[in-house]
Amino acid sequence: MKKIVVSILLILALIAPLLATGTQEVDENAPVTIEFWTHEDANRQKLEDRYIEEFTKTHPNVTVNVTRQSANKLIELVQSAFAANQGPTMFNLSIEDEYQYISAGRVAQIDYEAAGYSDAKDVINSYAPKMLEGVTLDGKVYGLPLELTNWSIFLNKKVFRDAGLDPEKDYPKTWEDMVEISRKLIIREGDILVRRGYDFRYGYYLVNNVPMVEQLGGALFSEDGKEAIVGEKAWIEFLTFMKNWGPNGENLGSPTYTAARKLFNKDNNDIAMCTTGLYQEARILNDNPDFYNSGEWMVVPYPKFKNAVKDVAGCYYGHFYMVNSDADKATQKAAWQLISYMLSHGEEYLVNVGIIQPTIELLNSETYKNMPYSDVFTGDFARGHIVYYGAASAEIQALIRTSVEAVMLQGVDPKQAYLQLKTSAQELIDEQ
Amino acid sequence: MKNKNKTFSIERKQARWGFSFTLPCLLFFSVFSFYPIVNAFFTSLTNRMAVQRTSEFIGFDNYIYLFTKSNGGFSLMNSMRATLTFTIGTFIPMVVISLILAVFLMQLRHPKSKQFFQLAYYTPAVLSSVVAAAIWLILFDPRGLFNQFANTLTFQSGHDFLWLVNNEMLQASTMIVYFWKYIGYFVILFITGLAAIPPAIYEAATVDGSNRWKTFWRITLPLLKPTVVLVSIMAMLQCLKTFSTQYMFHQGGAARQPIDVITMNIYFTGIRNGRLGRASAMSIILFIIMLILTYFQFAVSKSDDVEY
Amino acid sequence: MNKFIGKHTVGEIIIWIFLILVLLFTLTPIIFMFTASFMDPRQILSMPYSWIPSTKFFTPVTLNDGTGTTIPRTFLTNFHKAIYGNNNNVIFLRNLLNSLIVAISCSVSTVLLGSLCGYGLAKFRFKGRTFVFMAIMATMMIPFEAIMIPLYMVTSSLKMIDSYRGLIIPFLVSAFGVFQMRQYLLTFPSEYLDASRVDGLGEFKIYWKIVLPNCTPVIATLGILSFRNQWDNLLWPLLVSQREKMKTIPLYITKFSEEKQTDEGALMAVALLASIPMFILFFTLSRYFLGGAAVYESRKG
Repeated sequence: MKKIVVSILLILALIAPLLATGTQEVDENAPVTIEFWTHEDANRQKLEDRYIEEFTKTHPNVTVNVTRQSANKLIELVQSAFAANQGPTMFNLSIEDEYQYISAGRVAQIDYEAAGYSDAKDVINSYAPKMLEGVTLDGKVYGLPLELTNWSIFLNKKVFRDAGLDPEKDYPKTWEDMVEISRKLIIREGDILVRRGYDFRYGYYLVNNVPMVEQLGGALFSEDGKEAIVGEKAWIEFLTFMKNWGPNGENLGSPTYTAARKLFNKDNNDIAMCTTGLYQEARILNDNPDFYNSGEWMVVPYPKFKNAVKDVAGCYYGHFYMVNSDADKATQKAAWQLISYMLSHGEEYLVNVGIIQPTIELLNSETYKNMPYSDVFTGDFARGHIVYYGAASAEIQALIRTSVEAVMLQGVDPKQAYLQLKTSAQELIDEQ
Repeated sequence: MKNKNKTFSIERKQARWGFSFTLPCLLFFSVFSFYPIVNAFFTSLTNRMAVQRTSEFIGFDNYIYLFTKSNGGFSLMNSMRATLTFTIGTFIPMVVISLILAVFLMQLRHPKSKQFFQLAYYTPAVLSSVVAAAIWLILFDPRGLFNQFANTLTFQSGHDFLWLVNNEMLQASTMIVYFWKYIGYFVILFITGLAAIPPAIYEAATVDGSNRWKTFWRITLPLLKPTVVLVSIMAMLQCLKTFSTQYMFHQGGAARQPIDVITMNIYFTGIRNGRLGRASAMSIILFIIMLILTYFQFAVSKSDDVEY
Repeated sequence: MNKFIGKHTVGEIIIWIFLILVLLFTLTPIIFMFTASFMDPRQILSMPYSWIPSTKFFTPVTLNDGTGTTIPRTFLTNFHKAIYGNNNNVIFLRNLLNSLIVAISCSVSTVLLGSLCGYGLAKFRFKGRTFVFMAIMATMMIPFEAIMIPLYMVTSSLKMIDSYRGLIIPFLVSAFGVFQMRQYLLTFPSEYLDASRVDGLGEFKIYWKIVLPNCTPVIATLGILSFRNQWDNLLWPLLVSQREKMKTIPLYITKFSEEKQTDEGALMAVALLASIPMFILFFTLSRYFLGGAAVYESRKG
């Protein structure tokens, strides 16, 4: 008797969630709720909150609930939510994390009319060439860019001068320069680095380090996409360079120290250079206005190897606003209207947050041209290409991270790390 | 119904009461534990990906994959190694040292000092794991306290012990943090067990001429066996389920491979990479490992039970 | 064990040294957290660590209101940053309250449900008793990461996402709680129960009026442990709490160690503040915690 009761309970528990369903209704002026998930950014938040308030005033039937999470966490949360079919109405992630939503049909095509365009071509033509490649599939566009960003090298002039260097002349133009200059800039106590010259932006290998391999003649994938980690010599050279950089080599930096870009704004004489984007300028102004106004910082282009066969700058990546295709039509429409309203303030985003919405209009504007060092970023944009956003991009990045850490932190031989990387990456590709 | 009345007895009534007392919990566990794990099992037989709408039944392919391929560089084999190393390296010292500490504390003259030490040892457990991780990441920073401390101990200066860098050091670091956090808890468990042994036994032993050492080995330890078994199983299970320490360290910049315990692999494979089918298979495997090890420990301890 | 009496022996001294070394190991990081929370971040990572917060390292602090004004740093600046966060809204208090609500609810429910179930398993014979017990124990071996997503799906189909119910209900009772109560109640003298039955008390009243009040030490221990486990829960609130005002303390702390900024001083201040409720609870109720005769003494009669 008891066993039967227990079994019935178990079966009920199994079935119950299946019975719970949601219903959807379509009605023009019915109240609409938009769940908007985005990543945290203090500067951007101020603008967003204002735009949302203005939008809801003119669209009183719309309620917008904003959820902000850290960028890393947001990736996982959006994915989990979609796995449970409870994804947010609209969200933005970096394209390499977003692409799978497009290929799985989870996000909706732009409601061109709601967004203020006549059709797909109209959208594509409003933006600089190739900017919407990542979100265009079969001629349909699935997202609008919140930002397209690339990273160059920020430099603290005071630290350079402190080491007897002239920032305007002696800034690193090649990766070999970077090593040499770092040697001069470094202050150590025993083995421990108290001041670093430059340190890499560890973790973002697809954006920041794959171009180094490409400069040496290697590539992430072959032309036909069948082979992974192409160019043995280039990859081994890259891994050897990283090994030399780390604690088991010349000890110029390491992933285990505080990230360079987090220290840069403080102007604390503990870092001279870091890799980051145009948005950093707004952050410097916010965190340390004295430093910003003193002009004791500058931006220089992405270095290349002395014997580089190709000139490739850091990759650019983009965040795109996308809309959940499971939302009902009325909600989708409202979402695209909101997105397009927010994005109509390109110049404000540029000046206050330092992010570039690559509409042709903005890139030609005076505001853009007047942003300090925007020409450096533009130059690097032209030299670079979009980050790899295809399938398994997160896993490939994790693999590269493993091999870099293996040679830097665990003393693994670069050739061995390369072979391991190649095998694992090939396995990933073969699965697709 | 007439039949029921005839056989109605106090025992049956009590049995029904007993069962109904357990009902609320059963209901709860059905919905929030049994259903999810059964669901996870079924998911492990598919190729479900987080973002895809549909998935296919692929039988035991996930399991075969996990034992033969590298799962994007983070193989199950490596995770098992990492988990096993961590568990053994942590739970054995924890059980041994907490037993030693408990025994020492029981011998102190003043009960107040015993209480003070217990409180003090337990304090780290009171902190949340996020807090503990935050503190230790700063302590293990190359410029942090632990390097300075180790340098003083070994009469050097400026030597970076590479706490979060070197393969072995990284694993050791996670073990240190975990040990630090839970040692007090197990000390308390052992003291509870030790206190349950009637003092009369010790007096009898002293009268019989036994010294401290012999008393410990021949009397205390055997009588403590149920507690030791309980503590060992709990410590082992806890170590097998470890997650936040390794996760926090990895988020703080450390490499993943040396400390890629199974739970972390499940998390990254499922939640980060979206491979729900494969992650579920890993969870089932971990579940089975835990069941086996617990059963094994129980079986080994069932032999020679001591009563007094 | 025999306590030390009479002369101090070498053995006793060695024991004391060992105990104190472990004590230092245990307490140093906590003292570190305490001192670091008053320091400027630059001092925290300076070598050698100077233990005493000093104004020598103080740098002016930029206000986060966008105007760029700076104010001089004080010893309490870190705490100010901790409480007011980045956006000058005191969400910290709300998060603290959330954690309290969730932790208290879960510990109360765990004690009640766990004791009820443990009582049923310990003192009543019914068919399938062992099966039920084993099944509940087996749930202790289910790693949370394994059931995270299915649990998330259950919670969202019950429409509990982003609410207190969603944070509390999946943790109403733990198998560990059932186990503790059962083990304790196994040794509860059955004579009392039988006597009460003879007196005509209903089964539930027996549980409520006789059994429960006599379990105080176990209840206290279980309550404190459940509270602590819920206070510490990071992964689940991460999935379930979406709006800022539903987040719990561990999430708040991780915000401080995130991408954009590392302010070790503020991080330690947040850590300290977040630990205070647990410290208070722990120290006031410590007598229930500590091992020793107390556990067995409190039983009436």
